Amino acid sequence: MFAASGLNSRNNRRQALIRILFMLMTGLLILPVLIILTTLLYKGGPAISFEFLFGNPTNGMTEGGIFPALVGTIWLVAVALLFSVPLGVAAAIYLSEFAAENWFTRAINLAIINLAGVPSIVHALFGVGAFVLFMDFGTSILAASLTLAIMTLPVVIVATRESLQAVPYAFREACWNMGATRWQTIRRVVLPNAVSGILTGVILEVSRTAGETAPIMFTGAAFFLPFLPESVFDQTMAMSLHLFVISTQVPGVPDELPFGVALVLIAMVLIMNSFSIALRIYLRVNKKW
Amino acid sequence: MISKRLLLVGMTVGAVFLSASVQARVLIQNKGSDTLVNVAQAWAEAYQTIDPDVAVAVSGGGSGTGIAALINGTVDLANTSRAMKQKEIDLARSKGQNPVQHIVGYDALVVYLHKDNPAESLSIPQLAEIYGKYGETENWSQLNIEIPGCKGQEMVIVSRQNNSGSYVYFRQAVLGKMRDYKMGTRDMHGSKDVVELVENTPCAIGFSGLAYATPEVKLACIAMEDGAPCVMPSVETALDRSYPIARPLFMYTNGEPTGKIQEYLNWILSDEGQCIIRKKGYAPVQNVTCN
Repeated sequence: MFAASGLNSRNNRRQALIRILFMLMTGLLILPVLIILTTLLYKGGPAISFEFLFGNPTNGMTEGGIFPALVGTIWLVAVALLFSVPLGVAAAIYLSEFAAENWFTRAINLAIINLAGVPSIVHALFGVGAFVLFMDFGTSILAASLTLAIMTLPVVIVATRESLQAVPYAFREACWNMGATRWQTIRRVVLPNAVSGILTGVILEVSRTAGETAPIMFTGAAFFLPFLPESVFDQTMAMSLHLFVISTQVPGVPDELPFGVALVLIAMVLIMNSFSIALRIYLRVNKKW
Repeated sequence: MISKRLLLVGMTVGAVFLSASVQARVLIQNKGSDTLVNVAQAWAEAYQTIDPDVAVAVSGGGSGTGIAALINGTVDLANTSRAMKQKEIDLARSKGQNPVQHIVGYDALVVYLHKDNPAESLSIPQLAEIYGKYGETENWSQLNIEIPGCKGQEMVIVSRQNNSGSYVYFRQAVLGKMRDYKMGTRDMHGSKDVVELVENTPCAIGFSGLAYATPEVKLACIAMEDGAPCVMPSVETALDRSYPIARPLFMYTNGEPTGKIQEYLNWILSDEGQCIIRKKGYAPVQNVTCN
């Protein structure tokens, strides 16, 4: 038996107070998510039906469904991932595993940080100039997805680089001492241990890509186009732009419609991410260190 | 082996996307004016049943956006709520495009007021003093109007962003060519936004297309001169040109339209197409009888 001194108990009280305070602050973070989700479910839920998910918009986009926008967003996200993930992961591997600490590497790092800070509407203008006009892709899925890919590259690069660097250096040294080359080490040891972090980057990218409106507005998304895209050179409708136009530009839209679109958009991102999330959980459970 | 498999999957998906690039249907690119965008959408929607081989892709963004796209050659039909300026036509020509103008309807530009605003009519000179640079009118009491719920009776002047055709046309028709807008106006990015803001702001005055009218706002009766009889905005008064701020709505093509684009434009100008624009709250090009 020993009693706490006055000093100790004061410190303990202070710690308890801090703990509760920080816990409340963390709890506050959940609040917006809860409010958004319940509002969407409450207000948008009644709009969801089979016809809404798999029909074309009708009667001046005030009725009917959102299928072309839904399919369009899947195309945009898929094509953007196709470009940004290989490019971003390769760049991150170079920066983390090969690059020497010199002015060139520092310049690249600075460029990545700056790229992340560029507003999305500026990316949109860049996309119009570079992909729509100069490379002559026209307003198309390809141009829009490339714009989105460039915009989200920093996310993939930073997430991948962080997760590569989280793999203990001793793993690499052990591998090299067995006579493995740098590339063999990266492929067999570093990458498999970093996959879960890379997937986090991909999740962030999917969410951002699906939700962005400005970069696709002038590069590939249409206000109205009730046909499914057939190739990357087609234009398409997209959920984010559809949500924007029915809430700001189309008169006579029933209240529950925009909320329904938002609900489907969030659900879609969640479903697209659930694959990565499941894989991440699997990897975490099987992690050996 | 994860990386190899990923690469394979990526290449396959890429090949599938790219190989499907042969198109069976004709895509008509239609972009521009926010005033026209909902009519353009209605036309595109109705045209699906007229010619299923044609897909019309409609985008908004403002008349300026449509004209820029025409100049860059990325659009088949540019919607505008103002005529192209000579400077823009010259620029288009220098880039090898040949803009051809088609009038597809008329729009009454309505001055919207809050429903508690007791004002019935406004004259063009009064509007010029409200919207024009160095204009004297900044307070509703200067017009002997008192709005319940409007603090200080100070006007909230709502305008549009400067690449909007409504912005350009209103300046032309109300302020005159040389005069600029007053500083400190609220510049909204869509026709619908203007009406929504006016709906919720007792002090507000704003202009937007007739098609965006709701039962919650008041439409001002417009007189050409102080003391002259005023005319209410409507499809009829826009059509007979008695309403002072009615404007033509255009579609521009690159050269005389041919093929599917010509068919589409002809259908827009037919009675069927013109009944659609009328139903949306705009005046048709010719008198049509619609059911």
